[in-house]
Formats: sequence, C-alpha cells, structure tokens
Amino acid sequence: MNRFSLALRLLWRDSRSGELTILLLALVIAVTSSTAIALFSDRLQRTMTNQTAEFLAADLVVTSSNTMPESWAEKSGQLHLARAQTVEFTSVLIEHEEMLLASIKAVTSNYPLRGQLKTTTADYAQETATPQGPPAGEVWVEKRILPALKLQLGDTLTVGELPLTVTRIITYEPDKQGDFYSFSPRVMMNAADLPATRIIQPGSHVHYFFQFIGATQDLLTFNQWLKPQLNPSQRLMDIHNDRPELGSALDRAERYLGLSSTLVIIISGVAIAMATRRYTERHFDNTALLRCLGCKQNEILWLYGSQFIVLGVVASGLGCLLGWFAQEGLFLLLKDLLPKRLAAPGLPAVMFGFAIGLAVLLGFALPPLLRLKQVSPLRVLRRELEPLPASAWLVYGLALGMVGLLVWQYTDDLPMTATLLGVGASGVLVLGLLVFALLTALRHLPLASLGWRFGLQGLARNRQASISQILAFSLTLVAMILSFTVRNDLLDNWQQQLPDNAPNHFALNIFPQQQAGFAEELAQQHISGSQFYPVVRGRLVEINNIPVQKRVSKDSQGDAATHRELSLTWTETLPDENKITDGQWWADGKAGWVSVEQKLADSLKIKIGDVLTFTVGSEQFTATVASLRSLRWDTMKPNFYMIFSKGTLDAFPSTYLTSFYLSRTEKNRLNALVKKYPNTTIMEVDAILQQFKTIITQLTQAINYLLYFALMAGFTVLFAAVYATLDSRIYEGALMRTLGANRGLLRKNQMVEFGALGFISGVVAVLVSEAVVFALYTRVMNMAYQPNFYVCLLVPVIGAVGVGVTGCWGLRGVLDKAPLTVLRKG
Amino acid sequence: MRPQTDLLNNIIVAEGLGKAVTAGDKTLHILSAINLIIKSGESIAIVGESGSGKSTLISLLAGLDTPSTGHIFFKGQDLTAMDEDGRAAVRSQSVGFVFQSFQLLQGLTALENVMLPLELNGDPQAKPKAEHLLERVGLAQRMAHTPKQLSGGEQQRVALARAFATRPALLFADEPTGNLDSKTGATIVDLLFELNQENHTTLILVTHDHSLAARCQRTIRLSAGEQV
Repeated sequence: MNRFSLALRLLWRDSRSGELTILLLALVIAVTSSTAIALFSDRLQRTMTNQTAEFLAADLVVTSSNTMPESWAEKSGQLHLARAQTVEFTSVLIEHEEMLLASIKAVTSNYPLRGQLKTTTADYAQETATPQGPPAGEVWVEKRILPALKLQLGDTLTVGELPLTVTRIITYEPDKQGDFYSFSPRVMMNAADLPATRIIQPGSHVHYFFQFIGATQDLLTFNQWLKPQLNPSQRLMDIHNDRPELGSALDRAERYLGLSSTLVIIISGVAIAMATRRYTERHFDNTALLRCLGCKQNEILWLYGSQFIVLGVVASGLGCLLGWFAQEGLFLLLKDLLPKRLAAPGLPAVMFGFAIGLAVLLGFALPPLLRLKQVSPLRVLRRELEPLPASAWLVYGLALGMVGLLVWQYTDDLPMTATLLGVGASGVLVLGLLVFALLTALRHLPLASLGWRFGLQGLARNRQASISQILAFSLTLVAMILSFTVRNDLLDNWQQQLPDNAPNHFALNIFPQQQAGFAEELAQQHISGSQFYPVVRGRLVEINNIPVQKRVSKDSQGDAATHRELSLTWTETLPDENKITDGQWWADGKAGWVSVEQKLADSLKIKIGDVLTFTVGSEQFTATVASLRSLRWDTMKPNFYMIFSKGTLDAFPSTYLTSFYLSRTEKNRLNALVKKYPNTTIMEVDAILQQFKTIITQLTQAINYLLYFALMAGFTVLFAAVYATLDSRIYEGALMRTLGANRGLLRKNQMVEFGALGFISGVVAVLVSEAVVFALYTRVMNMAYQPNFYVCLLVPVIGAVGVGVTGCWGLRGVLDKAPLTVLRKG
Repeated sequence: MRPQTDLLNNIIVAEGLGKAVTAGDKTLHILSAINLIIKSGESIAIVGESGSGKSTLISLLAGLDTPSTGHIFFKGQDLTAMDEDGRAAVRSQSVGFVFQSFQLLQGLTALENVMLPLELNGDPQAKPKAEHLLERVGLAQRMAHTPKQLSGGEQQRVALARAFATRPALLFADEPTGNLDSKTGATIVDLLFELNQENHTTLILVTHDHSLAARCQRTIRLSAGEQV
C-alpha cells in the first residue's frame, strides 16, 4: 500500500478525534493573526517604499528649520537641478467666531516636483489631478476646515494678516506624512503670499523642505557636496536611501501588534503541544503494532510526520485566507492614522504567514511527535513500556528559539529581543511557581463540600495542565487589562489630576517686541497667565565632546529628546515647582551654565560639570551643567528640559512662550488676541488631549483586536487540556456514579474546577497588571496610582464564568457513558 | 407467579429482564427473559462463559444501566421506573461494589477512597468509620498511601473496605480475584465472606472460579444471555 495514502487515511480517521480539531484550530488562529500582521506591515512598508519619490514629492529633500543658504541654490543651479520649497507651520485660524489650529503649508509654484496633488471643488468622486499648488491669493484646504470654520468655497480665509480666497478642496497630497502633525487639518497657500501674512519672523517654529529633482549623477554630486555642510537640525532624504518614516504612533503600533501576535503564537503553541502530546500517547499502541509488523523507525516518523504536514498545510492555508480578511479589520480600526492610499496586499506577506504556520507546528508539535519513533515493539506484550518523554531541552529550546526569532522580526532590535525573552521567560517561570504553590495550597484546603473539594482537587491533580491554562488565560487578560486601563487612565486621570484653573492654553511664537503688549492684553482681559519664557529652538548634540547618539538606548526618553529640537530657555530665578536635586542654581548671573531636567539627565547619564554642546540652526555653543532639576510636568505651566543662565543664548533669535487659563465660556476672548497677534500659535490643551485620545483609542482597539485572537487561543489550550484528561474524567465520572454520586454533584465538580481555573487566571491577571500599572505610573508616567477596583472584581468573575461554562461544555458528554462499560475496560 | 409480598421480602426481584442493543439495522440480544428472586442475606454466584451476559446482568441489577424489557424491584421499589439520579441515590445508600481491577480513584489516598461513599451519603462520621474499616482489613498503617503506592492485594482490600463502608444491603463483586495471584486471591475471598457475614449483606458475585462459586449459597448460570 502506498504509505502516503495510508497516512492520509489514518489522518481522516483521526480527524474526528478531539485533539486534531484542537490542533487545527490553534494553528489556524496562530496563522490568521500572523498573516494579518504580516500583511498589515507589508502593505504599510510598501506603501512607504514604493511611493518614496511621491512621498518626498522630489528625488532629494532637505528638511531644515531655517531658510536655504544662497550657496545651495547656486550649486543646484550649476548642476541643473530643478528645485521647489515648502514651508510648514501651525497657525490658529479664526472665521465666523470659530477657531481652528491648522497646519499651514506654503508651496512654491513648481511644487510638487514628483507626484501630483489631487483636488476637487465638489466631492471626492470628482477629484482632479493638479500638477501645481495654489496660485498667489488663493488657498486650498482640507475638507474638514470648511465646516469647522463655517466656510464655503469662494469665501475668504485670513491667514495671519492676509486674507486669501478658498478655491479648492485638497483630497490628496503626495508628501503628507501620516503622523500626529497631520491631525491638524491642512491649509495650502502659495509661498509668494507668505511674507504678507507676517507670521514667520526670526525664531518662529517652522519646517522648511527644500526639494530637488534632476539627473541621477547630478543628484549624487549634489548629495555628496551637501552632506558635509548640513547642521544637526537639517536632514537629507533621497529616494535611494530614505523613505519617509511611519509616524511614531504607527511605528509603535506595528511593534505592539507584532508582539501581541507573538503572544497569540505562544498560546496557540501551548495548545498545539498539548494536543500533539495526547495524540502521540493515543497512538503508542498502534505504533507498537506497526513496529511489531516490521515498520522501521523512520517509516513511523514519516507516517505520522506526513499527516502533520498535511494538517499544517491545510491549517496554514485556511489561516492565510482568514488573515487576509483580518488585516482589513486592522486597517479599518487604524484608518485615521494611516495614509489614505495603500499598496495592495502582497503575496510574500501571505507566504510569510503560511511559513509561520509550518514553523509553529514544527516548533511545538515535533518534540512530542518524535516520541512515536521511540515506541518499542515490545509494547505489544508489555503495555506499560512507554517511550522516554521528549527532552526538555528540545521542547523548550525549539519553542523559545522560534519565539525569539519572531520577536526579533517584530522589534528589529536584538538587545530588546533578548530582554523581552529573558524577562518573559523568567516572568512565566515565577508566575508558574506562584500558581503551582497556589494549587498545592488549594489541594489541602479543608472543605466540607464534596463538590468543591473534588473540583479543586481535580485542578490540583492535573497541575501541569492547569498551570499552562492559567498562564495562557492570565497573560491574555493582563494584556487586555493593560491596554484598557492605560488607555482610560492615561487620559481621564491626567485631566482629573490637573488642578482647577491650571493653564489650558499655550501661546507660542510671541516675538520679543510683542511680549509686553501680549502680557498687558492678558492682564486687561483678566486672564491669569504664567511667566513668559524666551525660547530658542536647539538640539543637544554632544556631551563632553562625545556625540550624544552614542549614549542613548532606543526608545528611551533621551533618545526622543535628542532626535528633535528642544525648547531652550533662560531665566535668573528657578521656576516654581522646579526643585534642584543636584548641584546649585546659579547665583552669579554668569553666562555658560545650564540646568538639566533630572530624568533626561538620568537617561543620558549627564552629571554636574559635564559640558553640553548644542546647535541652533547652523551655530554651535556649549554650556556647563550647573544643576539637575526635578519638575512636575502635569502642572501645564511651561516646562523645560534645559534652562540656561542669562546671556548664554543671547546670540540667537528667540520668541516667547506662556500659558494661561481660560474657562469654556471665555474662549471667545482668544479671537481678539489672535487677531492682534496673528503670528502667535495658540495651542488648546483640551483639543490636543482629544487628538491623543483618538490616537490611543484606535491603537488600543487594534491591539485588543489581536488580543481576541490570543483569547481564542487560550480557549484552545483549555480544550486541549480537557481532551488530554477526557479518558480519566470519563473513568472517574463512571466510578463516582457507581458509588452513588448523582450527576448534579459531578456537574458541580466540573463547574468548581473550571470556574476556579478561570477565577485564578483572573486573580493572577489582576495582580500582574496592577503591578505593571503601578510601576508604569509611578516610575515612568508620574501619575498617581489608584487600584481599579472595578477591574479587580470584574476580571476574576468574568474569568470564572467564561472558563467555567466553556469547560463544562467541553465535558458535556462525559456523564453519558454507561459506568460499568467504562470500568470493565479499566 | 409472584405474590405481592415477594417484592418486600426479597431484596431483588427481576422479571422478564432483557437487554438488546441495536447496531445499524441489526439487533443484538445480550440478555433475554431473566427472572430472579434474591432473598435478603443470600449469597449468589453468577457464572458463565465470556460474553454470556454476566456483566450486563449485574449492571442492570445494580441500576447502572436500564433494561430493554422487564422490571427490577429493589426492596419493592421499581428501579426501572427511576431516573439516573434516583438510582444513584439507591446505590449510595444500599449498594456496594468490588471490581476485578480494584477501581480506586488514583488521586485519592486509601482513606479518602474509603471515605468517598460515606461522604456521598452525607455521613458526618465518614472519617472514623473509614479508619475503622481500614484497620479491619489490616491497612491501619497505609491509610495515607495512594493506590499507586499499594500492591494489588492491598488495593483490593481498600476496595473491600470501601464496598462495606456504607454497610450496604447489597454487594456486587465482579471477578474480585481476577487480577490477583491465587494466594492473595484466597485471602481477599476470606475477607470478603467474613465482612459479608459480619454485615449481613446480600452478596452477588460474578466469577469464573468454580471453587469461589461453590462458597456461595446458590449459583445462577448464564449462557448466551439466557438463564440455564
């Protein structure tokens, strides 16, 4: 007989046994979630990569916070490069008593050099491609501007001091980056109108984009000429080496989604391992017989291995198909954060999902399956002869190696992978021991009720399986509780913790000559404001002459703070709510000192006496660290990482910054202020919080979406465990009934056992998540920790009911077998 | 054939008992037309070839299964008219079992195994009674051991202690020595009959062993599902 057809036939016969269904289900869940993530990342990455030129709207772009030096224009002219320029900044627009913070983009008339703008005068269906931006005197706006400011096409919109006519609605902008910035709706105007708005003056916070196109060789020459001249605040991007980065929110989302899908894989893997183990043990007798009939060890391996490969291919194929649909769900959940036009789903990502399926099967099912090869033919005579258990090294090594590779793939950061694996493995070990101790204690609980005692003993008896199930459920629940709690607390608590009348508006970009007038205006309107701080935008580049990038670890506070320009200020007196933690506040009034915020200093390992080098535009200067300060970020008063002694920043143009409180009813007073000082940017804290809320809600929804897969995987672990103990449960049920136990008692046993399983999972989840939240809030986010009693009570109850009902459902047929038939077999 | 009083004087009365199973379109008669009257305190051996229906008969008599035809009266109550939980209640109060393969719960100690039927009956004295019985079968020193730590003979003694724990009116023993060597088997049989007499229990014993059957007061022989 053809061996493969024998394998297929055996597989078909076995397919109705519970454990292969479990295995199939677990594998489908794992493949669905990893295919969804693979497709999601792949589409995002290809959207970015394929359309780089269009995203840059040019072949080479330099971003800068200053205007372009004359020499660059000359050089690009010599090389026959075409160039365009865009300037981006935020500004408050006021029309019909409505205010809106908009992201203004002033473009030269030959923008965009690559790609096309798309606009419409009616709806999206009638959009037209336009090779150029708006002509002078006109503005084009994103659609949401119109209702927000009660405008219609043809109306006048005043930008700064200049009234412009709204002529078209922008539907697509090639070089728009999908990040937080884009939450402010776009207003596009012609660069020729910019001076008349009088918004931009020395020191204003603006981004310049110098765009170039030309022959490849000329671009290369220009690139090589330009690179050495760039200062740290300038960045060069070209289509060969760069692609626009995903917004940091999306970048993180991608990583968290990847890690969540690893959780799904681990939990599914546990179910697969458990189901395979049961499958293997059920096949010892058959295998012994086959061996006895002359089957060689490798033939045995092939016989069962080929069945698993067929199973893997079927499950992976099904998972890929479901993953395809699942990724559409992800895109739907994250649609506001994503670029509007996306690359089509790609086959390689689907293949990746497929490969993951086979790898998961290999990683988790192979070690138990290998035992079949070891079955001795002598078992035909001596049934107690069992092959050696699979080597622990093989079991855990293979699984851990596979998970490690996955985590590495998602984080793209080897030290982080090692940390995650190490912390994860030891966390699981500690939790496992904790649960072990708990189960042992349960076993010795002096309970009067037989149903309770037997239920809990059942849990304690299958300790290994119980621990796996509890860990699977509690890890999933921890992830869910965290994403739920952090999302809600982060925003609500923060808002609640703000003292009454805490400043809720920031005014930025106030020019020095306007400062006195602005302060007077506030006083006249009885608006209480904070001190005015001068601000110079600059970047920290060196610590003791060593480039700062060498000191930072990825994603740390220091990393974030050195990748962007900081607001630098100076003052003679220590601001309120700042406390010196090390060193001394300067008393002598000499220039050249700097006081650094404590946490940033810790992150960058900055000490008193260190010499810090900063750049402002193309200029450099140094300052010596005189003190470290702790401060309260949640006061909403202007806070600074770097405060300099007076005179240190005199050489640079500065603007002023203040914050003030306005109640909801007083908001209209802003209008007068903004009309009088059109260059000032007013930031409304509530509006910003609202935007963060949207981002965080969408991110957590997307992550929860994947956690539902983890939850499903958790249930497959439960079923795998139920099936693994099915025979002994049927036996015990029959024996108990023979001795006079009624079904009610046995059902109560089951309810107690699975209810307790769910309850313990819930309690462990609550303990772990509250510990994480506590650490996160007190150490990282500086938020007051309050235990969430609602979650603490609800999660164990939900766990008990959910797992209790599902477990009993899995065992529903156990009490129907005729007792004596069962006992006779034993 | 039966006066009404029989139902009360006899512990078991079975009338026209039959059991058939249907597989596909074939009906297989495992037992047919069995009529039995068993008096209180009697000891009865049921003998017969493998597949003659011995096990089916005792599962019906013990209320573990329901007959296809006929009735079983236990102390005058019609077992066949009760539901599963009603029969479980009868078992927990009046029926004990000893099996060929001991059938102890692996997760429980010897003491807990013996306590189990008492606890199912809601007996508050479960522990002292179980301890006493284990002492009686000579396992005073092994109460805290689990079945895996006990020899076959010891396990069967625990099973005997469990069977007599509730002082059942009726004891079923299914090949009680089948898994033991002859010497240990003989000890267990002696113990079984001693306990039986001490407790005035009605004993129904299924066996292949003629010498064991000879120790009972009466023998019922089955062949191909019929009484001979």
